[in-house]
Amino acid sequence: MAKRGIEKQLNILDYALSSLWRRRTKNLSILLVFSAVIFLVASFLMVSKALSDRAGQLLVAAPEITVQRMSAGRQEAIPLAHGERLQGIFGIRRVVPRVWGYYFDEVTGANFTVLGVDPLQMPGGDGLATALARGRLPEEGEAGMVVVGQGVVETLALENRQLFSLFRPDLSLKTLTVSGEFAKETGIMTADLLLMHPAEARDLFLIAPGFATDLCISVANSREIETIARKIAELLPDCRVLTRPQIQKTYQVVFGWRSGFASICLLSAVAAFIILAWDKASGLAPEERREIAILKVLGWETADVLAVRFWEACLVSGLAFLLGMLSAFAHVLFFSAFLFRPILLGWSVLAPGLSLVPALALGDFLLLAAFTVLPYLAATVIPAWRSATVPADSALGG
Amino acid sequence: MFLNPWSIALTLCGLLALALGAVASRTALRVLRFWDLGSDSNRQISLEGEIWLSSTLMAYGLGFQIVTLFLFVLAADQFAQAIAGAMCATGSLLASPYGVPTLLVKLCGLFFYGFWLLLHQLDIRSEHYPLVRSKYLYLLLLIPFLVLDVSLQTLYIAGLKPDIITSCCGVVFGSTAAGESNLLGGSSRHGLLIAFSLASLSLAGMATILLRRWRPRLAWSYSLGWLCFLPLALVVITTVVSSYVYAMPYHKCPFCLLKPEYHYFGLPLYGSLLLAGFFGMSAAPTGLVRSKPGLARVVDSYQRLAVKGSLLLLVIFAGLSWYHFLKYLLVGGEG
Repeated sequence: MAKRGIEKQLNILDYALSSLWRRRTKNLSILLVFSAVIFLVASFLMVSKALSDRAGQLLVAAPEITVQRMSAGRQEAIPLAHGERLQGIFGIRRVVPRVWGYYFDEVTGANFTVLGVDPLQMPGGDGLATALARGRLPEEGEAGMVVVGQGVVETLALENRQLFSLFRPDLSLKTLTVSGEFAKETGIMTADLLLMHPAEARDLFLIAPGFATDLCISVANSREIETIARKIAELLPDCRVLTRPQIQKTYQVVFGWRSGFASICLLSAVAAFIILAWDKASGLAPEERREIAILKVLGWETADVLAVRFWEACLVSGLAFLLGMLSAFAHVLFFSAFLFRPILLGWSVLAPGLSLVPALALGDFLLLAAFTVLPYLAATVIPAWRSATVPADSALGG
Repeated sequence: MFLNPWSIALTLCGLLALALGAVASRTALRVLRFWDLGSDSNRQISLEGEIWLSSTLMAYGLGFQIVTLFLFVLAADQFAQAIAGAMCATGSLLASPYGVPTLLVKLCGLFFYGFWLLLHQLDIRSEHYPLVRSKYLYLLLLIPFLVLDVSLQTLYIAGLKPDIITSCCGVVFGSTAAGESNLLGGSSRHGLLIAFSLASLSLAGMATILLRRWRPRLAWSYSLGWLCFLPLALVVITTVVSSYVYAMPYHKCPFCLLKPEYHYFGLPLYGSLLLAGFFGMSAAPTGLVRSKPGLARVVDSYQRLAVKGSLLLLVIFAGLSWYHFLKYLLVGGEG
């Protein structure tokens, strides 16, 4: 039974292919529009997934807990004395003050990220030296030493120069010496980075000594993050306590929300296409009626004609799925998803030259198929039935 | 949490299935009232055309619902990234009281929907459409189940709040869990394994005898045996097989098996088990319609196919579930 059944289906598939080829102009137009719709939906899902994956990868290196001081709903510099008060909490491995901010360079119009942190105090900070293409990390007590990213080197046209100057808020000049450069491979995190000692960063931003932008807290046991975060929040009521898992979840929610919102917008494109497909499939041309009537006379059953229509729909949607997915893949990988990047990233500028890798799991294919192929199959079923129930005598009448 | 591509896809599939089912049930009512194969009235002739439409619509709709089972599990896994405290599908299913019931309904639905599709296939193999009335009665009974399926799913998605704290699989299926600890805990592991091996061996034995000579009583015990074997196999996968796949003694989760990290091992594992279960459970009950006109040969060949298929898939399933365990015994850990 099974063998004969498979043989029959293969023959029907063969017939469906030839029937598609006979009406190639009509089918090609449907195929192209369908691929375009799948391309839109697929590239959107790929971009949002690639971005949330990338956020997840970057956040692995984030400190377990970040403490920021809030005043009137805005972040303010936090006194280092706050950090000393936390030393008593059991389970905290280290509290590292961090001074950071953005420096807008008016000449080039570029925004640099200035990070003032003692690399030796950060957990895993000794590994930072491996990210350098040349030079070394600044050491304590060395005035004006800075490690720069490749993007900074290019923007400031540093080439072999060691010295450059930046403006303090009061427009006095601060001279900095390049002690090292970050490697190109780490560009995603370091392209626009100026890494210096906290004292130097305080000097550049004119932050009073004894203050930092926030405190990074590393925790010995990652299972204790929530408990320790709660204790910190009780001890320092004027501070906002952010945990790494919390930040990760928030990113996921935001990306999920944004891509869900866009999916609803794109659903209208899918709906428009479904109406087109329904319309194209419903118009039963006289020769099509004759063809089916002749098949019926030859002994075909309604089930067989329905099977032909089913295979036709499967072939069209399968081919469109493949085309749409491939072009979406190319769009995200080679063109960095230029169509959708602004929507998902918003105005905030991530590291320059961000390349997105569309990593799709098997489930994402199923998700995309549920969005596009299933509605198409549902839309073509009633027209398929209409054509399958053409009575055999209608061929004789004409 | 409706604004998420997974929720939208699930809702879309559910609505499509409901719409197709609603159109089909209109014909079902007319068939139950007016179907008369002997008559050649206009109504009967138009009904004969309509049953093709409604059956095809229903077949599509039920097919979509079967797809949503997989979509649902994968979606729950995705939701875990957004729900605080949840690390995999277990956490997000427990985040709402409707999570586990939805999964169970969808799992049972897989078989209920499958049986309808099977009945439909048997029916159209005979010229007399002998099963039309029973098929459409079954269809009308399936509609409330379909509504239940879609509404539970919608309630689940609506009830998900991304800030709920829930437990993850490490806590729920771990040895410290109360209540179910006897069933899913470590103490009865040996007993479970023995029961699992005995059950699969006896099912294989019954299938071999049935393939040699068909005995209706044995066929019924074979089908009932599959009905009991399915939950047992799911428990064994959760408590024993999974931790060998993960190579972590305390990680016992039935859902993480479906992740790419574990090479989608769960797909062939669950795929073979569910399909084998479907074949096994349907082998005997199809005998009930054997006496209908034109069905004797069709049913006979289906029954043989079902027993053969379930035996083959059982061997594949058993091989897959023992693979990591034996590998651990022979090679010792993650080689």
